[in-house]
Amino acid sequence: MSRLLVVFVWAVGLTVHAQGFSQRGFVEMNGNLYTQIVPNDSAYGTGEGRFRYEPKWQPQTWLTLNASLEARLDTHHQNSRSLQVDWMDRSLLRPAVSVRQLSAVLKRDNLTMALGKQSIRWGEADFLNPTDRFAPKDLLTIVDQEVLPVTAARLTYTLGNNALNLVWQPLFTPGRIPLVNQRWTFIPEAFSQFDVQNLGSNFPGRSSFGARWSRTSAGYEWSLSYYDGFNYLPSLNASVDATLARISYSPSYPALRLYGADFAVPLPLLTLKGESAYYTSPKNQQDEYLLYVLQLERQIHEMRLIFGYAGEVVTAHAQTQQFPGERGFARAVFGQVHYTLDSNRALTLDVFVRQNGESAILRPGYSQSFGDHWRATVSFTWLSGDARDFVGQYHRNSFATAGLRYSF
Amino acid sequence: MNKPLCALALLAWHASAAYPQDARQIMTEVQNRAQSKSEHYEGSLEVINASQKISKKRWAYDRLGVYGNSKSELRFIAPPDVKGVALLVINHPERASDQWMWIPAEERDRRIALQDRSTRFFGTDFSFEDLEERDIDQYDFKLLGDDKLDEGDCWKIESRPKESKTSQYTSSLLWVRKDRYFLVRTDNFIKDRLVRQIAYRDVESIDGIWTALSVAVVDFTRNSRTMLSLEKVKYNLPVKGGQFTRESFRQ
Repeated sequence: MSRLLVVFVWAVGLTVHAQGFSQRGFVEMNGNLYTQIVPNDSAYGTGEGRFRYEPKWQPQTWLTLNASLEARLDTHHQNSRSLQVDWMDRSLLRPAVSVRQLSAVLKRDNLTMALGKQSIRWGEADFLNPTDRFAPKDLLTIVDQEVLPVTAARLTYTLGNNALNLVWQPLFTPGRIPLVNQRWTFIPEAFSQFDVQNLGSNFPGRSSFGARWSRTSAGYEWSLSYYDGFNYLPSLNASVDATLARISYSPSYPALRLYGADFAVPLPLLTLKGESAYYTSPKNQQDEYLLYVLQLERQIHEMRLIFGYAGEVVTAHAQTQQFPGERGFARAVFGQVHYTLDSNRALTLDVFVRQNGESAILRPGYSQSFGDHWRATVSFTWLSGDARDFVGQYHRNSFATAGLRYSF
Repeated sequence: MNKPLCALALLAWHASAAYPQDARQIMTEVQNRAQSKSEHYEGSLEVINASQKISKKRWAYDRLGVYGNSKSELRFIAPPDVKGVALLVINHPERASDQWMWIPAEERDRRIALQDRSTRFFGTDFSFEDLEERDIDQYDFKLLGDDKLDEGDCWKIESRPKESKTSQYTSSLLWVRKDRYFLVRTDNFIKDRLVRQIAYRDVESIDGIWTALSVAVVDFTRNSRTMLSLEKVKYNLPVKGGQFTRESFRQ
């Protein structure tokens, strides 16, 4: 794969001055300051630097080549120190150098085909996307979720107001869960002295497939989707050996079949959006459940307001210990305010409150651009709740963030 | 028909053709003269806010289809901070356009609802509604008389959206240059309050179509203005419709 990358970069280098070439990217520095330390993490502060380069070349009207390369370095060992270019994105740590995108997009009339590593997003909702199964999440820090790209072939056929999207993903990309020796893994007091061992992940061997039919009209848009593959969040299969004071676990990824739907209806005063998916487990390796989101949006001058509810209905329980991921954010109300002060400055506020009041997140933020290239962002994430709640267990992880990005 | 009567009829026809008194007829001619199968330009924007701070942006614009029933894509190409942000507009002759905005960092497009159309487009003084095409069939027109602007002699016309048309504006005043049937200024009102003025300047004929190479927008509610300069304007280029779909716009 590294050879392929070299060929692409060489080809791009030859054509820098050619018509149809464009590029962009950024260099970013971020720092987090936590309000308190936790038993398995004594760091108050963490820092990370990131560089991303995204060339795009359209040699023919029917062909576009896209790439996105990323390098990261941090102080807290959440990123690998190996300089090997990572294609698979299966490591526990974030790769130091990775290919986020390397794809060819071919177009002919109403047909578009994208081949290679790419980002695929499904769904209409903003807070949580139950149908978005080709977008595994990096949940190393739980509240700052990044979407990971996947290696896939995507075929889109558009006819009038209808679009049919077919996706085949031959290589599985898992989501990334918190590291056991860091603050985003909560170890109960009784096991705090135990040694935690990862025995290695079992990745699925077969490919995943998905189809989405969407229709856009004057007063509404909706889509139906189907997914047959694997949950990108693992079942942990943990075992406790009290005599050796050891917890062992071996992540595996349950087979998953999913039926989804989403819609957006612009009403006179508000836009109503909904998204739901019924998760079934063909091999009974995980719970079966319906995950849904209903949200209302309203723009008032320069202020965009989103308010909604994320719900879950479990129809069958399985005897596995699965990492909750997005399920951990269900059964909650959420809100978002985005206020544009002027063309350079914006204020944001994100709110999450569990319906039983057992956890809450409040995140005010401010961002400002300087000149053509620079943008500074500051925010504070306040986490509160009960240790028995998925979000509440992180109540000691409130933190302030400051970031500076140079875009080119 | 005798000769004097024939000459009189010809004179009357010529007069009506050159100086039509019907506002809709004028606007139809304005729309017809601006017709093209496709359009491309690159625009440089200067947004000057109330405290005289200037921010610069640049976008590329592509359109396919006849006026009022077209598809267009507007994509920021500078500065780097907003590069890649795009707006897809599908215009309809019988109703308001459909619009979606694409923000690369979010990897997701967002439909711009009708109630959001009065919002400023990405920090400029254009509202989302200003970026859709105003098909004349969606408006009622009234000729208010003649007026003289720096650009030349104009017809002053009032336009009001029909009931079927959703618009932030209660009414607009339009100035149309008599010699070119070219719209040179639009004053947009909410009730009786002037909220936004759009002036079309530096008019040149490109591929036989009168084109304003400079567009000035003033937002009176924010005391802010935006200057858009058009470059590399081209009409009737071979463009494929597949470019103007939500799927394509996300690439």
